[in-house]
This record gives sequence, C-alpha cells and structure tokens, in this order.
Amino acid sequence: MAEVILEVRSATKNFGGLKAVNNLSFDLHKGEIVSLIGPNGSGKTTTFNLITGLYEPDSGDILMQGESIAGLKPGQIYARGISRTFQMLRLFSNMSVLENVLVGMHGRTKANVIDCMFRTPRMRREEEASIVRAREILAMFPGRFPLARHTQPAASLSYANRRRLEIARALAGEPRLLLLDEPVAGMNPAESMEVMRQIRDLRDAGYTILMIEHDMNVIMGASDRVIAMDHGIKIAEGAPVDVANDPAVVEAYLGRRGADTAS
Amino acid sequence: MAAITARISSFFGRVPRWVYIVAVLAFAIAFPMLEYFGLMQTLWLRVGTRALVYVLLAVGLNLVLGETGLLHLGYVAFFAVGAYTTAILSSPRFDIQWNFWVIIAIAMGLAMLFGFLIGVPTLRLRGDYLAIVTLAFGEITRMTLNNWEGLTNGPGGIPGIYPPQIFGWTVDSPAEFFYLLLVTVVIVVWLLNNLKNSRIGRAWNALREDEIAAHHAGVGPTRAKMLAVVMSSGIAGLAGAIFAYYQQFINPTYFLFMQSVIVVSMVVIGGMGSIPGAILGAVVLDTTPEIIRQTFTSWLPAAIGPDFLPGVQAAMQTEFDRYRMAIFGLVIVLMVVFRPEGLLPNKLWRREMHEEDPRELEKTGQHLFDFEEGTQDLEV
Repeated sequence: MAEVILEVRSATKNFGGLKAVNNLSFDLHKGEIVSLIGPNGSGKTTTFNLITGLYEPDSGDILMQGESIAGLKPGQIYARGISRTFQMLRLFSNMSVLENVLVGMHGRTKANVIDCMFRTPRMRREEEASIVRAREILAMFPGRFPLARHTQPAASLSYANRRRLEIARALAGEPRLLLLDEPVAGMNPAESMEVMRQIRDLRDAGYTILMIEHDMNVIMGASDRVIAMDHGIKIAEGAPVDVANDPAVVEAYLGRRGADTAS
Repeated sequence: MAAITARISSFFGRVPRWVYIVAVLAFAIAFPMLEYFGLMQTLWLRVGTRALVYVLLAVGLNLVLGETGLLHLGYVAFFAVGAYTTAILSSPRFDIQWNFWVIIAIAMGLAMLFGFLIGVPTLRLRGDYLAIVTLAFGEITRMTLNNWEGLTNGPGGIPGIYPPQIFGWTVDSPAEFFYLLLVTVVIVVWLLNNLKNSRIGRAWNALREDEIAAHHAGVGPTRAKMLAVVMSSGIAGLAGAIFAYYQQFINPTYFLFMQSVIVVSMVVIGGMGSIPGAILGAVVLDTTPEIIRQTFTSWLPAAIGPDFLPGVQAAMQTEFDRYRMAIFGLVIVLMVVFRPEGLLPNKLWRREMHEEDPRELEKTGQHLFDFEEGTQDLEV
C-alpha cells in the first residue's frame, strides 16, 4: 500500500447537542481516489470543513503527512498542500477567470508590498511565471478555457465551467490532496463522465483525491475506495462494490425495510 | 436611448487608456496657468487645490472600501492626525518649524500606527463591526483634538502654520500647492495602480468577493485587510499633512464625521474599486457645490440682472452650506437608483450591479457565450 498522506484520527465535532462528526477515523493513501458518501446531514461536508480548517475538531486529530493540522487556519492548511472546492460554488465571480486561478497562487508567491508598488523586476518575473502556470492549469481542461475566456469574469461562465474553474483554482496551490465537494452536482450525464475522466487524470498525475459525491456512476467509475457515513459515524469502508452492497449503507439510504429487501 | 448610450460608451471604450491619462494630466498641469493669465478667478484655483486633497483621500479610502470591501466610517480621523502633525510641528504654537519631509514621515507613520491599532481588534470580526468602531474612532479623535487644549489649543485651532520648504522651494501660493498636490496624487495613484494589479490587489479583491473562499485559497484575511487599512490610513495622513500646510489654519471642525461620509460618497459615486472613479468622484463632489453656489450668486445674476429671483441670491450667499448637504443627498440617491456602479466603474463592479442584464455584458464587450474559435458554450 502506498504511503499514507492524510490520517483522520477519532475526529469529533459537535454543534450544540448534535454530533455532526463522531469519532471518525480513516486514512488516505497517496494517489488514490476516495469517495465520501452518505445521506444528507451525515457529516460529509463537516468532515471536509474539519480537514480544511474551517472548523477545529472538538477531539481527535488530523495529520497531513504525519504532522498535525488540527486547529490550523484554512490558509495554513492550504499551504501544506490541501485544496478544496465547495458544494455551493464559491468563485470570485467578478474577477476574471485567470485572476481566480492567480488568487489560488497567493500563498506560493512572495512579492511584498514594496515589490508590488514599484513593480520590481523580481515581482514582474514572479508575476509572469504565475500567469504562465495559471494558463497551464487552465489548459488541463482541454477546450474549456480558450485564451479569449481568460479575461472574462468568472460569473459569465457556464455552470459546468464554473465547477471546472473551482478545481483549477484549487490546483493553483499545487496541492498534494484535493478535496472535491460534489464535483458533478447539477451536471448532465455527459458532463459528469467528462469530469470523472478528469478526476482520474488528476489522480494519474499524482494528486490524491477525496470527494463527496452522490452520483452513483461517478462513485463506481472513479473511486478506488468508498467511505460511507451516517449520523456522523463511519458505517462502511472499502471497495465501491462492497460498500454499495453493505447492508448498513443500504439501510442508511433506504431504511430498515429497504435493507431487508436488498439482502 | 439605450442604444445611443451603448454606442457612446463603446466609442469611449475604444480610446486607449493612455489618451485619457495624458489628457487629464495636461488639463491639470494647465489649470493653474488659467489663473496666472487672468482667465480664471483665484477662487477656482483654490477649489481645484482642495479637490486634489479630496482626490488623495478618495483614492486612499478606495483601497479599503472599494478594493477590499470594508466599510470604514472614520477615515477623516487619519486625515486629522496628519493635519495636526503639521500644525503642531510647523507653527508658532510651539514655535518650531520642522523639516517638511520629517513632518510628512511622522504624519504618515502616526496615521498608519493608528490604523493598525484600530485594525487589531476589528479586522478579525466580520461584517459591520469595522464600520461601528471606525465611526467611533473618528469621533473620539475629534473630541480629543477638541479637548486636549495643551497640545491642540482645542476649538480655537492652530493658526499661522508655516509654509513648507521643499529643497529650498517655499510653497506658499495656491498654484504652488496645486502642483505639490498634483505631484503627490500622481505618485500615489501610480503606486496604488501597481498594487491593484498584483498578487496583493488580487488578494484584496478576493476577500471582497468571498472571504471564506479566499481564505481556503491561501489568502490570510486578517493580514491582507490590515495592510489595506494601514496603507489607506497612511495616505489620509499624507493628505492631512499637506492640507494643513495649505490651509495655514486648522481646528477640529475640519474633521467632522460628515467629512468621512463625504469621502465615502466620493468613492461610491465614482465607482467602487476604480481609481479613475475615485478621482472623478472626488473632483465632482468637491466642485459641484461651488459651481452651484457661483451659479446662483454671481453667474445667473450677472446674466439676468440684479433683480433675479429676489431672496435666492441672498439665501445662497448666507445659507448655502445648509443646502449643500441636501444636494449631496439628492445626488447620492439619484446615483444609487440610476447608476449604482458609479460614474467610472471598475468593469468588474459594473458586472456585479447589472449581472442579469445582457445589454451590460454587450456594452463591456463580454458575452455570456463566446463564439471564439467556433466553440459555443452549450452546457448551462
């Protein structure tokens, strides 16, 4: 088994009396695609928020490449190589497509205020390199971001392209781990398949991917492993086919009787 | 009608940017000469000089309000800090006259320090806290200036501020101050424009658009906002220092809360997040009241005769300041209704204000679907 990149150890997050994530543990290995599934309210997005630092776990720990990241700020976690996208798109709608990707590079660029005010050669070199890299990242989505589109506002893109742009922005941080929150939500089957292929390409390019997904075709077609959650607890983990047929998972989605019929 | 305005704006949109810059600069450089050759009353030179002070304030506030999206209502406090630095260090009050550059450095440094101190408790919080705290800070500053008689001479103010000497050049006429301010404005605008088109400017815009997403994309919100607040405070301090030299007399009534509101209005009316907009907003809002006043007190009476609208002329001469704010209010309401993006909007803000209007997209040369290279975007 490849090296462990992320370890979640007994992470717990309460909101008042609700245990949104309860004693959750799992590992992610380098270069795999893992899907996080579960009914609405089962704690998937809270898990994402714990990993990316929007929330701090009440107990337990999260380790990125062996170092604890629990309690760090989102910006710091991003700098350690974890990028994410959001379920409800959170692009900088009134900034251009290219600028959206460039913002993702903020933490990797170093020009300070003085450099930026006087446009020192150092700052210009860095800026040019950033733009070249941003265009490279946008070119990873063939045909979707032609040059003419780079200067358009993100808000003018089609829905599917906005989802792609969010992935592009996440890639700009040169992450090792990519967290995708429902990457194909609202897409038609053809677009979903394209995104699924792209996610596999990203894995082959060396990224580790954890995604929340509801689309069964994408889960089955892309994931190496599936983790199922319900009421904040991990109820199953394993190969996609095994998890899909796990009685506990079927019960979580369909209820007791559904599980009886299925088994 | 819409077609005509669209055609006009597309014509102006095609003129390259540098043409505007050269034209505006040429006008600004020629402006004091109109007075020198007797083509213009000195009054207008004074109006122009004061407008440049407001231009500095507006481009400074734009950094916080327009670029970073923080509502700052105590901006005049930093202006006051700069002005009192000059007044105390270069006047008969304590009988000292420090070097111009030293005073400018102290004024900017002090204003930036105050900006930092205000930022520490407020920038971690979201939403309207900054507005409330800065508003309070503005008032506290004015009250302090009003009551700390030992230092500021209280409501009596500080008269007789010595003119600045810059490399042996004594700046003491309105025209000289105009040029001093013009050079300052050009330098500040150049630096801010560079900043706007850099990673720092983009970080500010990202925070304005979506703070959570920006944080998750590696932008530290507190640091970036602090930088914006500190820099804009420094610019206000600089404006204040030069203003005090020019005015030769200052007292706390120059730094009322209303002044902060006026600068906010300049940025909003000009177009938030747009440097040319902030400049135009400052010039328009600062000169309009004077133009209206002159219209009623001298131009119309001269054209129509002394019997023109009995009472209006007298009222305008004595009570104009009362109407000034009413006119301000009216202008702002009209702007919000008819042109919410401002006079010279940043393209991005115009999009935000008219997001659903396809005509706007056409006007700015943007299309929902581009047909470049024959790739029509069909997936919506």
